[in-house]
Amino acid sequence: MDLRSTEDAVNPPAQLKFLVVDDFATMRRIVRGLLREIGWTDVDEAEDGAVALHMLRNGKYDFVVSDVNMPNMTGFELLKAIRGDASLKHLPVLMVTAEARKEDILLAAQTGASGYVVKPFTKATLEEKVQRILQKLAAPA
Amino acid sequence: MSADIAPAAPSGASPEVFHELGQLTRQLHDALDKLGVSSRLAASAESLSDARGRLRYIERKTGEAADKVLTAVELAKQDGAAITAAASRLAAIGDEAGLDETKALAGLLHAHAARLDEKLTEIMLAQDFHDLTGQVVARVVALAIDLEDSLVKLLVRAAPAEPGQRGTDAALAGPVIEPAGRSDSVKDQGEVDELLASLGF
Repeated sequence: MDLRSTEDAVNPPAQLKFLVVDDFATMRRIVRGLLREIGWTDVDEAEDGAVALHMLRNGKYDFVVSDVNMPNMTGFELLKAIRGDASLKHLPVLMVTAEARKEDILLAAQTGASGYVVKPFTKATLEEKVQRILQKLAAPA
Repeated sequence: MSADIAPAAPSGASPEVFHELGQLTRQLHDALDKLGVSSRLAASAESLSDARGRLRYIERKTGEAADKVLTAVELAKQDGAAITAAASRLAAIGDEAGLDETKALAGLLHAHAARLDEKLTEIMLAQDFHDLTGQVVARVVALAIDLEDSLVKLLVRAAPAEPGQRGTDAALAGPVIEPAGRSDSVKDQGEVDELLASLGF
């Protein structure tokens, strides 16, 4: 499903393809579990930004949920690469991170993050952020 | 010593400065020797390496525990979903046959299964402690590596390492962090039982 050309992508949960990026397998599993509970079952995982970027360029994804502090390529570097890539730049990217400094949150926003969730978080928070991003995307420009 | 310090092509620094630095290094070397600091530095460097190993052990064990919990939660959620489905069928049967008590029971099952699922989600989310504490552990490990590196460099300058000399082990070593390649420890309960059996216990 291509969000960029579809306006009814939000309700009920459409079958979107997610990529969850985090260097901790535990956190990837938690986010995957929460997304499944919300209704999105098509979820792939990547352990850092570099792996994620490779997957994004070679597959079709609708939504990225990414950690920030990762080896090889951080979430901010991934975000920058996504926004600088003509075929990926419209992809929604939700940052889910333990980095709680204001300057990091500002940097994420400036780099083009679609949303920012600080760990630890709740299911309701994750669902709300994802839905809000999808609603914004679906709304006519 | 001074030859190690002098750069190949110093820019703007006079040879006297490097000569002075060389002498200072020599004095530091002698002072460390006289004070017997070298052996203490060696012990500190070894302790840091040991501390790193212990932190990694904590990281690994907490990760394994979180993994086990997540697997159990996923299986329990499947059971919960089965209870919910069965409750729905029970409710339909009660509805068709006009059995109010069956319908009430089905509703109760439904409500309990929903609450159970909610609690399981909480348990799942609580496993994020592994990510959060793991990040802290990683930072401390990085710090220990830096400190150890600096100590070893100082040690190399102060005195050559003496192989084969190790401090006496603590009375109780605690869990074995790296069982591979160790002959003085067991790596699992099977080896404990084997050892005891071989001694006639």
